[in-house]
Amino acid sequence: MATTTLPRPKAYDDTFFKPISLWLTTTDHKLIGIMYMVTSLISFVIGGIFALIIRLQLSQPNLRIVDAETYNQLISAHGVTMIFFFVTIFVTGIANYMVPIMIGARDMAFPRVNLLGFWLIPVSIILYYCGFLTGGGLNAGWTGYAPLTEKAFQGHSLGVDFWAMSIIVWAISGIMASTNFLTTIVALRAPGMRFSRLPLFVWAQISTSILLLIVGAPLAAAMILVEFDRQLGTQFFTTAGRPVLYQHLFWFFGHPEVYVMILPAFGLISEIVPVFARKPIFGYMSMVAALFGIVFLSMTVWAHHMFTVGMNTYVEGFFMLMTMLIAVPTGIKFFNWIATMWWGSIDFTVPIKFVFGFLATFLIGGITGIYLASVPVDTQLHQSYFVVAHLHYVLFGGSVFAILAGIYYWFPKITGRLLNRRLGEWNFWTVFIGFNGTFLIMHTLGLEGMPRRIWTYSNEAWAATNMIITISSFLIAISILLFLINVIHSWTQGEIAGNDPWQGNTLEWATTSPPPPYNFERVPPVRSFMPVRDLREAGELAEHEPVPA
Amino acid sequence: MNSRGPLGRGARLLIALAGIAALLFVLSACDLGGVHPIFPDPVSANGKNIYDTYVGISLMAIVVFVGVEAALLWVVIRYRRSAQPVGYVPPQVHGHTGLEIAWTIAPLVIVLAIAAYSFAELQKDFQPISNPQMTVIISGHQFGWDYQYENGVVVHQEGSLAAPVVPFVVPTHTLVKLQFRATDVIHSWWVPAVSGKTDAVPGYDNFSWLKIDQTGQWRGECAELCGAGHASMQIIVQAMDQPEFDAWMAKQKPAPSPSASPSPSK
Repeated sequence: MATTTLPRPKAYDDTFFKPISLWLTTTDHKLIGIMYMVTSLISFVIGGIFALIIRLQLSQPNLRIVDAETYNQLISAHGVTMIFFFVTIFVTGIANYMVPIMIGARDMAFPRVNLLGFWLIPVSIILYYCGFLTGGGLNAGWTGYAPLTEKAFQGHSLGVDFWAMSIIVWAISGIMASTNFLTTIVALRAPGMRFSRLPLFVWAQISTSILLLIVGAPLAAAMILVEFDRQLGTQFFTTAGRPVLYQHLFWFFGHPEVYVMILPAFGLISEIVPVFARKPIFGYMSMVAALFGIVFLSMTVWAHHMFTVGMNTYVEGFFMLMTMLIAVPTGIKFFNWIATMWWGSIDFTVPIKFVFGFLATFLIGGITGIYLASVPVDTQLHQSYFVVAHLHYVLFGGSVFAILAGIYYWFPKITGRLLNRRLGEWNFWTVFIGFNGTFLIMHTLGLEGMPRRIWTYSNEAWAATNMIITISSFLIAISILLFLINVIHSWTQGEIAGNDPWQGNTLEWATTSPPPPYNFERVPPVRSFMPVRDLREAGELAEHEPVPA
Repeated sequence: MNSRGPLGRGARLLIALAGIAALLFVLSACDLGGVHPIFPDPVSANGKNIYDTYVGISLMAIVVFVGVEAALLWVVIRYRRSAQPVGYVPPQVHGHTGLEIAWTIAPLVIVLAIAAYSFAELQKDFQPISNPQMTVIISGHQFGWDYQYENGVVVHQEGSLAAPVVPFVVPTHTLVKLQFRATDVIHSWWVPAVSGKTDAVPGYDNFSWLKIDQTGQWRGECAELCGAGHASMQIIVQAMDQPEFDAWMAKQKPAPSPSASPSPSK
């Protein structure tokens, strides 16, 4: 059949090694997506190094590897880096790459806004770390509670100011990306790609974008008020003001942010499970409904971070109930994933192993969340190592496992080469064992009374547990090292993947790996939410095969 | 048996590990060599009720945990490709309204039960009390706690990492109202054996209470990051029988009046 091949710009070849000028000026959503993901993985390594120093310091009682002030800066930098500069940025990046392809679009709706939105991220990261050049970075935890961040308690250090500016820039970038995603998905869908046929990863991106659009601005507002207090002498959150107001503003962003990090992970899982189980997703509509249930509920739960500040018990009861109700849509998703695999024929490749890692550990994070939502029990668990364990079960066991699943799944599409399977198996088992070894017994430290954010402790009863945690945390580090070696090695040396190594369902598998700048020469017909599978089963995939350049 | 490639081996390892994890979780209901999966034995009535709520939630949590992990394990064992006949084509099921409604309602019932149970406990032990036999004003500062008794005596519990701090002494069998303040940043008073934590926030008073029926000493710490000395803000609560308490009180010097702690009342 006669197919004309579109001319390809000379700068685009099928490898990654493009001139630096192209990387710096590109508005291509795929290159921007890659830059987002690479930036976030660099942040992951930096934040991980902070974590290892923290674990060394806590491995035994009364250690003096770092001093208290340095320790407080380390935990703050670890939290900010992992949450703002790693997980959120990574999921934005992978969506940037995949969403336009999955809906059959050529690019994002606003390519130059995309360019600006991405380049604000390095600005935000550099701003944050500039604080360390001015007498010390943020030292009040990633939440930066007032009035500890006020001038009276900070000396001459400008770390808090740089943190506040960094977060404002970050929020602006997030709002740009969210607007762009929503416009793209509404306006640029291919013919036949109705809303009821959108891949669930795209639905997850819609819900995430709505959430970030709503809560990004209050975060920036809180940071601006912190700056007013510090630089203009206002009294919003000072000792003479209302410090608890800061907590309300921060957590109105802070809790939905958890879902900004986990909803794309849910989307990833919903894409990977049907492909490897060879079954369509179970309950497509209830999966979509559950996403929006979570979006709504997540904005009504923020004060569950504040059950010890002394609120009216009926107010506390409301936030407790709304928090627990999130278990309902999350449960729907969980059971639907299991039902998708039931009667399936599951091909145990590396991506699906990470999916099982996600399911097995995220469940624990969900269950401990119920304990924390219960007001009386929370007064014991709040600000203890139980919370630290819980949040790592949802963020690491949840988001990061899903991100790793997503990387193993989409790396062949993005680079044209498969990640090495043997290294991938080692990566999975070491991170799974290291993760649970680190964070499962950490719950007991909190129950025994170890508060979070203490730089050292004298209680000998906590020594053995802390040592096991520290050793396990280094196993995670080794595992991530294996992962990075795998990525760097396979990028140039990996097995050639072909267009569709997994027999995928969604449109990205109908184009080349990596896709050309324009994504599709002709967008395949879309007749369901699994367009590529439809073509394969109808025996029509070959005639829609892209022609190699 | 089907031939087992690396897939089968991986799957078996996964099964074994998940089994160990489940076993550990169940065992953690018991005492595992110094690792306590539950709070210290509560010595105050409100702490006891929190402890019971924790146990109540755990009963449901263990059922959910075991049930869902077992379902996942079953999927791994039964529905992996190497366990299916060659050429097996899975049924193309798109959903089942009845099932989807069922697993919407089941979690709903469970969380409503937990919420109702927790709310009852909240109403019982977290209301401001009106009949205290004694009131102590606890004032947090960088880095230590001041305990002001009704007769003006102030115990200064200055923070220390190495040495044990000065204990905060209460009489046994006495309902003590605790009134929390902070003079600089936010602190949080937490002695796990007594009860949950209460924040000491500048600008308003926060409340809790304790009633300890046995003598002894219990440790706690400040639970809200409050600066470089946060880890040093250790707490020791000591309960004495009334005669010993009176003797102890007689030895304390009353603070110069008016009290040293500025009280920014609302």
